[in-house]
Amino acid sequence: MTGRHCSVWIVLWFACASGLGGCATQSVNIRSLPPETPAADNAAAAENAAELAKALASEPQNTGTKETKAVPLVTPADAPSMATYDPWGRLNRFIYRFNARFDEALFLPIANGYRRLPLPLRAGVHNFFGNLSEVDSIVNYTLQLRLVHGLRSAGRLLINSTLGLGGLFDVAKKFKLPSAPTGLSATLATWGVHPGPYLVIPLLGPSTLRDGIGVVGDFGVSHAVDIAHLYRANESWYLEGLNLIDQRANVDFRYYSSGSPFEYETIRFLYVRKRLIEDAGLSRGRQPQKTPHGVPAGE
Amino acid sequence: MRLIVCALTMTLGSAPIAHGETQPLPATRSEPPPAAQSQTPSATPSDDGSGAPPETQPAAPSNAPSAALLAATGSPTGLADSAALRATVFGTPPQDMAPLPETVPLSEINIALPWANPVPAVYWFDRKLRVWFSAQKKPAPLAIVIAGTGGDGNTSKLSILRGALYGAGYHVLTMPSPTFPGFIVSTSSTGVSGDLLQDSRDLYAAIQQILAHLPRRVRITDIDVLGYSLGGANAAVVKSIDATTGTGKLHIHRAVMINPPVSLITSISRLDKLFAISIGSSDADIDRLYRQLYAELANLYRASGKVELDEGFLLAAAATVLKSDAEFSAAIALSFRLNLADMFFAGDLYTGAGVVVDPRHPPRVSDSLENASRVLRGMAFSDYFSRVFAPYYLKHRTNSTSKSLIADNRLDIIGDALRDDGDYYAQTNSDDLILDTRELQWLKNTLGPRIVVYDHGGHLGNIGDRHQVADMLEMLAGRWSPPAP
Repeated sequence: MTGRHCSVWIVLWFACASGLGGCATQSVNIRSLPPETPAADNAAAAENAAELAKALASEPQNTGTKETKAVPLVTPADAPSMATYDPWGRLNRFIYRFNARFDEALFLPIANGYRRLPLPLRAGVHNFFGNLSEVDSIVNYTLQLRLVHGLRSAGRLLINSTLGLGGLFDVAKKFKLPSAPTGLSATLATWGVHPGPYLVIPLLGPSTLRDGIGVVGDFGVSHAVDIAHLYRANESWYLEGLNLIDQRANVDFRYYSSGSPFEYETIRFLYVRKRLIEDAGLSRGRQPQKTPHGVPAGE
Repeated sequence: MRLIVCALTMTLGSAPIAHGETQPLPATRSEPPPAAQSQTPSATPSDDGSGAPPETQPAAPSNAPSAALLAATGSPTGLADSAALRATVFGTPPQDMAPLPETVPLSEINIALPWANPVPAVYWFDRKLRVWFSAQKKPAPLAIVIAGTGGDGNTSKLSILRGALYGAGYHVLTMPSPTFPGFIVSTSSTGVSGDLLQDSRDLYAAIQQILAHLPRRVRITDIDVLGYSLGGANAAVVKSIDATTGTGKLHIHRAVMINPPVSLITSISRLDKLFAISIGSSDADIDRLYRQLYAELANLYRASGKVELDEGFLLAAAATVLKSDAEFSAAIALSFRLNLADMFFAGDLYTGAGVVVDPRHPPRVSDSLENASRVLRGMAFSDYFSRVFAPYYLKHRTNSTSKSLIADNRLDIIGDALRDDGDYYAQTNSDDLILDTRELQWLKNTLGPRIVVYDHGGHLGNIGDRHQVADMLEMLAGRWSPPAP
């Protein structure tokens, strides 16, 4: 009894202290961030640049010959309008602001704390969730009739779950089976479903109606398959939480670091163009969907 | 997952192709605007020697094929040098980078400044000034670094300089440019950014506040100030303001300007011109550029056979899509233009100029700003100057004229200090596209042995390069001596 009282008082005391502390330092707030690692970053950049140079040197055969014959080129006239279909703009803006505040107050500080853990540990967590997502990839590659890709995902799941110790290590990558996740949204796109209206999802951020359905569908598939009973056990909430933190920690984005009131418009523009370009890639041999002139992109 | 996509799209944004704010690749930042006036420190326009105030030529909209004007035939200081354009877009190659430390501690400081203007609804996220600080464990000199036009206090260029300076034993404080929207809202006393003297005063006052609030364990032995591009000019003026300040003086020791402009207005007009030449000036021209980029990216992506449009792809795309000088110019000009749109919007809102914001009905927090952003994309710096900047300063500065506003925005407002005080230094490139031959000569004449001019690097294209960093550190330590001719 006393013990419980004690803890209640401690919690209250902390709440008051942090509240008062908040008042005292309201005009200045100093937040410690994960340290920068410039030497390693530059080494990584050098490596990327070397790889890129190699890739560019071998590019001409790739792009020039094989592909151009099969695939009708996208011409500037095919580009969607610069305007974006956003009939739910007011609600979207509201959710975008909510996301920004939530991220600033909670999500980002947690992710920054997480980023201080040793890299091998975080890489293990990241690989683990990546491995679980292969289930969605297998299902959706099959629905897209891209069976080779589906087999690759199945192979990855098999290898990484066993040799990779339950997915903690991405061993398959070393066997030249690189990760290439896909999901329900890509499947819908393959069969000609338009992105639909722009949609900002609470906590997850920019999306479209189709992508939103994809997120729900993918979660449903994972849940239905329930690999290793990870999705329906009582501890699943912790796992989902860790998954979110891992995702956030791997994204180098800060809401309103642009300082610009146009940020919502900029992100919306870039997000929808990116998805449309990916759609054009999915619709391989076929002519990609065209947005008629004057119609906002995505409609 | 969606957030990842979000970050990727931001990367796309910062690749020279699209938008232009934060991050990795190579965006270019360049000069901003205008005016200052006499009530100041050492500021007497002393225009002797080489440079009469150049005249502003508002960009002549011309759709003439860019190749002609931008081909690699230009003089080392023209708009035209091909290598300069590439260096400007891509920055220092990783293999040429100076040695950088393994880890650099970092914290961010968010500070509310007592003199700030009321914050308009659409800027709810910009209430506090945000700066970044890296503290040494032992007593050390402090290096304050100021970003170039439109940059926040944590641009990739600032990050490189932070690494180099921290590695050399400095505490490092990195500050946004006074033209960054977050600064305009939280710190500017006017809301109209681009005036060299006024912006630098606001900066100086902010620095005083920040230093007063640093944790007590941080022990500072000396203070130096640096900046790149417009931030370089700001840094030098900040030092000159400090020299004439009475109470609260910070005793700033040395100032190093990296690729500074000489005349803000001339430099920016040059970027307007670059935009007009490489892109055009109507909305249709911008639409054409967008469609062309979209098609190129889409085709590259399809050919790559990738499933997700990721960062690696975008880097490759930037290297592949940008081929001609005209395309590099377009990337530089577009990046600047998008920064300008932010300055323009803030200035319009604060002064009630009515260009895109109806002063009687300022936008509310959930209103669409699409129309405003579309209109501002098509507006040049000359429009900002004539519709927001000049009207504001003509009203608030007695006896000023458009001409005097232009003259006030030249480095010669601190010409005497630059000439006579041995603690001002500069680093620039002979092919920096924001300087013409006359301006470069003015810098050389004024600073004498305290300037180093590299042959190559364009605008900011060699920040972090071994030579640039080594020379910068020598200058800060007061050990700099020019290489024997």
